Amino acid sequence: MSLEKRPLTLTINDKPVGPIDVPVGMPMIDFLHGYLNLTGTHFGCGQGVCHACTVMELRPDGSATESRTCISDAHFFNGKSIRTIEGHAQRDANGEVRELTPVQQAFIDHFSFQCGYCTAGFVAGATVFIDQLKRKPVKRAELETAIEASLDDHICRCTGYVRYYEAVKSVALATPGCVVD
Amino acid sequence: MIGGLSRRGFIKLGTFSGITVMFARLPVAKALEVHSGQHATDWVAPDGKVRYRWDAIRKVTGEKVFARDFRAMDLPGWPKEQAHAFFIKATEVDKTFEGVDLSVLGAGLQPDRLLLHEDLERDGVRVPQPADLGVEFYGKDFLTPKGATPPMYGQPVALLIYHDFDRFVMAKRQLRFAKDVVRYGKVTGLEPPPNYGAARYVRIGGASPADPPEFSPMQDAVIWGNFDGDSAVWPPADPQGMFVPRSVQPKHRGGGAAPDAAKVAQETYEPMRRGMAAADAIAKDIEAARSNPGKLVLRRQGFSQSIDPCAMEPDNGNAWYDATTRTLHILVAAQSPYEVARVAADMVRGNTRFPVETIELLSGTTVGYGSKDHSIFPFYTIAACFYGDGRPVRMANDRYEQFQLGMKRHSIEMDLTLVADRKSGRFEILKGLYTLNGGGRANFSFSVAQVAATGAQSIYYFPKSDLAGVALASAAVEAGSMRGYGTIQAMSITELLVDEAAAELGIDPIELRLRNAMRPGDPNTQGAVPLGDPRNVEMLRRAAAHPLWVQRDKAKAAYDAANPGRRYGVGFAQVQKDYGTGADTSALLLEFDAEGKITMRHCVQEIGTGATTAQQVMVQRVLGKVPDVALFGETEFEQLPLVSNWEPFTITQEEQDELQKNPFWVPFILPAMSASNSVYFIGFGTRQAAQFLLEHAVWPAARAIWSEGPAGGQMASGNVQLSDLRAVPGGIGGGGMSPIPFERIAKKAHEMGLVTGVALHCFSRWEWAQAEFDIPGTGRRTLPVDALAVRYGDGAPAELKRRMTTGGYDYIKRSGVRFPPAQRNNAGVTTYTPAACLVELNVNTFTGEVEIMSHHSLLDTGTVVVPELVSGQQQGGVAMGIGHALMEELPLYADGPGDGTWNFNRYTLPRGKNVAVWTQTAEYLDPLTEGAPPKGLAEVVMIPVVAATGSAITHAIGKRFYRLPFTPDKIQQALADESNAAPPGYDAKPTDKASTTPAPAATGSRAAMRPGTESVA
Repeated sequence: MSLEKRPLTLTINDKPVGPIDVPVGMPMIDFLHGYLNLTGTHFGCGQGVCHACTVMELRPDGSATESRTCISDAHFFNGKSIRTIEGHAQRDANGEVRELTPVQQAFIDHFSFQCGYCTAGFVAGATVFIDQLKRKPVKRAELETAIEASLDDHICRCTGYVRYYEAVKSVALATPGCVVD
Repeated sequence: MIGGLSRRGFIKLGTFSGITVMFARLPVAKALEVHSGQHATDWVAPDGKVRYRWDAIRKVTGEKVFARDFRAMDLPGWPKEQAHAFFIKATEVDKTFEGVDLSVLGAGLQPDRLLLHEDLERDGVRVPQPADLGVEFYGKDFLTPKGATPPMYGQPVALLIYHDFDRFVMAKRQLRFAKDVVRYGKVTGLEPPPNYGAARYVRIGGASPADPPEFSPMQDAVIWGNFDGDSAVWPPADPQGMFVPRSVQPKHRGGGAAPDAAKVAQETYEPMRRGMAAADAIAKDIEAARSNPGKLVLRRQGFSQSIDPCAMEPDNGNAWYDATTRTLHILVAAQSPYEVARVAADMVRGNTRFPVETIELLSGTTVGYGSKDHSIFPFYTIAACFYGDGRPVRMANDRYEQFQLGMKRHSIEMDLTLVADRKSGRFEILKGLYTLNGGGRANFSFSVAQVAATGAQSIYYFPKSDLAGVALASAAVEAGSMRGYGTIQAMSITELLVDEAAAELGIDPIELRLRNAMRPGDPNTQGAVPLGDPRNVEMLRRAAAHPLWVQRDKAKAAYDAANPGRRYGVGFAQVQKDYGTGADTSALLLEFDAEGKITMRHCVQEIGTGATTAQQVMVQRVLGKVPDVALFGETEFEQLPLVSNWEPFTITQEEQDELQKNPFWVPFILPAMSASNSVYFIGFGTRQAAQFLLEHAVWPAARAIWSEGPAGGQMASGNVQLSDLRAVPGGIGGGGMSPIPFERIAKKAHEMGLVTGVALHCFSRWEWAQAEFDIPGTGRRTLPVDALAVRYGDGAPAELKRRMTTGGYDYIKRSGVRFPPAQRNNAGVTTYTPAACLVELNVNTFTGEVEIMSHHSLLDTGTVVVPELVSGQQQGGVAMGIGHALMEELPLYADGPGDGTWNFNRYTLPRGKNVAVWTQTAEYLDPLTEGAPPKGLAEVVMIPVVAATGSAITHAIGKRFYRLPFTPDKIQQALADESNAAPPGYDAKPTDKASTTPAPAATGSRAAMRPGTESVA
């Protein structure tokens, strides 16, 4: 079996990447790790079950969706735009973190993670969720259920989820337009 | 310092009373937690309130934190090219291994190196065999020799190394489920290692708990057993014949050259014989109780299943062998990097093909719940890197591989008998046999078996007990040290049994517990008295008053009526878990410069619990600010050139008395990292260091500052003492004095030439060692530490500065020391934390599914250092316990994870919806006094929820379950089984479906536990 390679071009964290020749069939997470040294997106299962490897796919219409990089080939993202965990916080010219996103800030304020291995996926999932709420808010009485529905697929083994979910709830309540009476 | 190794080579300490103490030449090994260096201090407010974890920003922004995140190019000094390696593993265990066939890969995807056992053997690359960890702790061979039978499912047989990343990724994928890659030969039957050990703890108490016992493990002896097939056999009461135990490795984790079994048998022959006579007497008491209508005798078989810890970060490592400088560079994901360093040195010592003179070990943040503690994985990484042809070699399990090779929690078959007095409800006898399946590599299996047996008593006092822990070897994937360590299994069954006893006796389950809970001063089943007030009674009373408990029957009636097809239940359990090992240590260096910059170098390693945050908060609580520079994961302190003989558990009093004359000698040097030891044991050193600087630098400097000015300053007319000092935001105050910023204190302390830095080491064998130190300029001090070095401030006189020759510090040779007596090793554990849980759930009688509606946890935390970290441990622990109770399980053999097909699609982990994420609550008992020490709790928090869930299911549907997990299948069958009413007292059959392992035959024969078709050789 020889390696068939094809050029891959995409946008990552608002920057153009490629064209780079990448083997057909290489999972996106291996491309992120092995080619770009973007190791903040973590490998959990390789089956798309745990969602640790989730990045945000940014659609042309401005919406965002979760995308699992362990079960999608790198070439699946050809022409697409994604945000990895490294691209959420605002950084200065030296790459130092200047400002966290509301989701990131809530996660650290609420002590939401312990080892931190699943955190990149949760940041992606929670950010997509808040983005969806802004487009389609939920009633206050349904907020908890909506959080569960959105994040239930994300596995965490350390925390028991309580602080992650509470952090997301606090962001939803603090972000205008997400929750209606 | 590791083993007193030095560039001088062998160190012979000398001969002391006929004991020769030598230290082999080992390469110098150093370790440092990656990325722990300078850091912003925004995470903690000046008043000491922790805003977020010290490592939070790095983790939430995707910076490299885990060892797994790093590649060769990221590591200073390493070559840029990264090679990758992975294993081919055996999935058949009853045939010889003959080779591998990689033709499925085609020409383009062949590895750059293919290693088999014979290659490693030829080059002297062998599994380390540290003497103090017991026989073949890490197994026998890295790879199975040609013609030999793999000892277990998932045993690596070949190692493939790729220089090119693309080919590595595609080859691994190609091989993952490929058939016929491993070539097998003739059928031999199963060939696992010999069984690991059997130990028995028998106690017959005196007339009251406070009276000396007739027999107890601590007073008399632990009874060591051997095996007949897979049945444990014990020393016969017959005074003829010498009985030699299989293993006498004591239960505490590591540390202690395996005592010679025959020698121990000879020395303790007589007490062991008496112990067996006591066990006999207990058996007769049980028989007598059966025919006594005034007694309740309950005997049940229980089972706890094989579990994968499922740390989200799979095992991984990266290593580079630099032949030119003879340096081995290793990056590991390990809970105890110190342990890896010393065993790595042992592994490479004397290798002529790959000579190593220096080891540089880097450790990253990791997570393991025990599975990355004393794991073989780092040593596989080292073995691989020798074949990197100058390139660093990275090994990183995917999840299939992690299930296949990663350490499991022991499955345990349990046989438990409880005797109680019907009238008083008082427990009289507990007898238990705990048979653990340790899989094909020893690890701590025997230790876990011992802890399971000694933890089985849960929170109760038993006048008589006979508890045996048996660790079997098998062809299953390795089971080892894992969160809970035998007690989650044993205590869960005990708690379920206590609930059944309550029903039989007609006593409220919590009331029954109250009557039998250990009181302060009550000895445990080994005969040791736990430290302090166990607070079991207080916790039980609080639980009894909780609305969930008080209203459970009423709530059930209402819920069941309103929800046809569903049944409501509430269950309760309370346990206590030991923390500490009996050889607990801590080491750190804490200093400040004249500008007030505080630097801390600490042995603690971050495993997710936030220990690195908490240790810094401990400093702030005393000195008023957190360290400006904090380095963690340190394994070598030049300021503490300590030596040890590494045998804290088996050392004799005579040996200790001799060795301690060397002022550099300590019983053990650095700790392994588990969540249950960081806040109390490791934190003890931190608190001592901060307190030392407070007393010897901060206080004199503050006094001097407060005395400045005419007539002795603001202090003169008062009586401010050291004990009045308080940390205030950014500095020190107290006694009504104006607060002084730490920077000013630092400057003054340096001007005054006071001690401005301290490095210390401490050791506990269930009590802290104490020593005297004559500190120039300060005087004689008695401290609960066994080694001390100090740094004098800039203004110190020249003759003091001249003394600072040990890593820039003055090592103060202790002038006297009192190590805890060796005999305390028999004490068993003496530090416990209690925990309880109430679970509210409903059972869907159609599907058998359990929905946890809420749960309430009770915890005795002692003084809390960082509340958010404690609650995080508690929330996470309960979730893990729910997984154990309801949904996680692994087959042990042919269809088990060793075949490489298991992943999260088959192994169900709890999600948010399974853990009552919004409705759960918890309460902590207030510390008994201000300044009560903090308690280690990260294991205990996961235990009571298991039995509480089982009892809640029983409350819901009236059926009892003793085999975990409580799956919908088992519940449905129990509901369907008409004859399955909760049986009365004697020898009832198991009430639910067989577990995934065949239950062992009465003699526990190996054939019954194994899948093999041939007779075992």
